Order: sequence, then C-alpha cells, then structure tokens
Amino acid sequence: MKTSQRYRSGLISSLNPRHFNNERWSYTIHRITGAVLVFYLTAHLYETLQIGLGQRSWESALSLLHKLGPLENVGLWIVVGSVLYHGGNGIRLIINEAFGMILGKPTLPVYPYAPTSLGRNQKLAMLTINLVAMLLWIWAGLYLLAGLGLMK
Amino acid sequence: MTSNSESLFKESWMMILMYATAIILIFTLTFHILLHSPLTGKAFEATLNFSYARANLIYYRLLFALVLYAAVIHGMSGLRAVLLEWMHPRRSWIVTFPVAVLLALLLAVGTLTLILV
Repeated sequence: MKTSQRYRSGLISSLNPRHFNNERWSYTIHRITGAVLVFYLTAHLYETLQIGLGQRSWESALSLLHKLGPLENVGLWIVVGSVLYHGGNGIRLIINEAFGMILGKPTLPVYPYAPTSLGRNQKLAMLTINLVAMLLWIWAGLYLLAGLGLMK
Repeated sequence: MTSNSESLFKESWMMILMYATAIILIFTLTFHILLHSPLTGKAFEATLNFSYARANLIYYRLLFALVLYAAVIHGMSGLRAVLLEWMHPRRSWIVTFPVAVLLALLLAVGTLTLILV
C-alpha cells in the first residue's frame, strides 16, 4: 500500500466515531460547539448593531428573526447548549493544560497504551461537566421553549 | 533562537491569550446570559425589548466591551487554530491573515454598537 493511501486510510479510520475514547469525544464536541459559537457571535454582533442604529432597525431585525418561527428559540437553545458545554469543557482544559492538574502521573508506554490522562479524576471531571451542562441546558430549554406553546 | 523556537514561542503566547480570554468570558458571559434569564423576573421575549436592551448596553457598557473583545479574540484564535490543524498550509499567514481581517471587522462592528447606543 502506498504511503498516501496509508495516510488516507488512517485519516478516515481516525474520523470513525466508533474508535473515539472519552477525550476524543470531548475534543470533537468542543470543536463543533466552538464553530457554532463563532457563527452565532458574528450574527449576534450584527444583530446588536441594530440597537445602536435605533428602535426601528432593532424591531425590523427582531421581526426578521421572528419569521423563523419556533426555529428561532430552538436555535438559541442550541447556542445556550454550546456555551454550556464549551465553557464547562474549557474550564477542564484550562485546569489540565495551564495548571497540569487531574492529568495523572506519567507511566511507561506499555501495550495496550491506556492513556494515563484518562484516569478516574479526569473521567469524574468529564462526567460532572456533562451532567451540569445537561441540567442547565434542560433549565434553559424550559425557559426558552415555553414561548413555543410547549409549556404553560 | 531559531525560527522554529520563535514560532513556538508565539504559539504559546496565543494559547495564554486563549486561556486568559476564556477565564474572562466565563464570568462576563455568565452575567450577560443572566441578563436574559428568568432571574430578571421577565419572560425571555420581554428581555429583547428595545429600551431594556439599550439600557443594559449603556449601563454595562464596560462589561459588554470586555465581553466583545474577549469573545472575538478567543473565537478568532480558536478558528485560526482549527483551520491551521485542518488545512496544514505551507505558510501560517494564509490562515492568519483572513482570520485577522474577520477579527478586525467584528471588533469594528461591536465597538461601533457601543459608541452608537
């Protein structure tokens, strides 16, 4: 097999979610939520500019958003979820990378190369982040989606 | 110092900038979101009222400036990192330049908003 073919097959294999461990999942979701937030930030800054341009501009921007119907609030709910996960996971990454905490002690690489960085503390941190983000996301959903007539 | 170690030094500063802006965002963005939360005692739709939104922008102008600068710098640094990882360009400026232009545009729009209100 040619080197380029081996690289390609390796790349395709690395993108297969069945091969992901917890850390790879958190990395992937962190990137996806980051992309969602960059897209939202751009739109949000343009939207907020309308406040500076006056009440008519702001209200016409809002009416344009309202044309999306329930999708507007569902979109906001997705953004809130992205903020919660990206923020929570970001705190874990800062603790890991900037302060070198909860990474576990380095050991000799012995087959099957279990990553020491995925120890008990790391798994606990990931679980806590996911749980807290999920609870807050549900709370945000109840608040945001109440306007859809799903709740009284 | 070789050019490689110089570029590594610069990247490490980029990461410190990412961490610093992230820490700022954790606090400022929480406050920003809380201004639209049930804790205000208003329905979400009511927090989008023009006078309420404008009053917030005026009253918390410094905080919003901090959110704006931290979010744009953090977001664009993240976008640059993702694009560099995916594209592997021969020269990093191929990614850095367009991202810097987008960063300048977003900061200009945000700053203009804060000046106009």
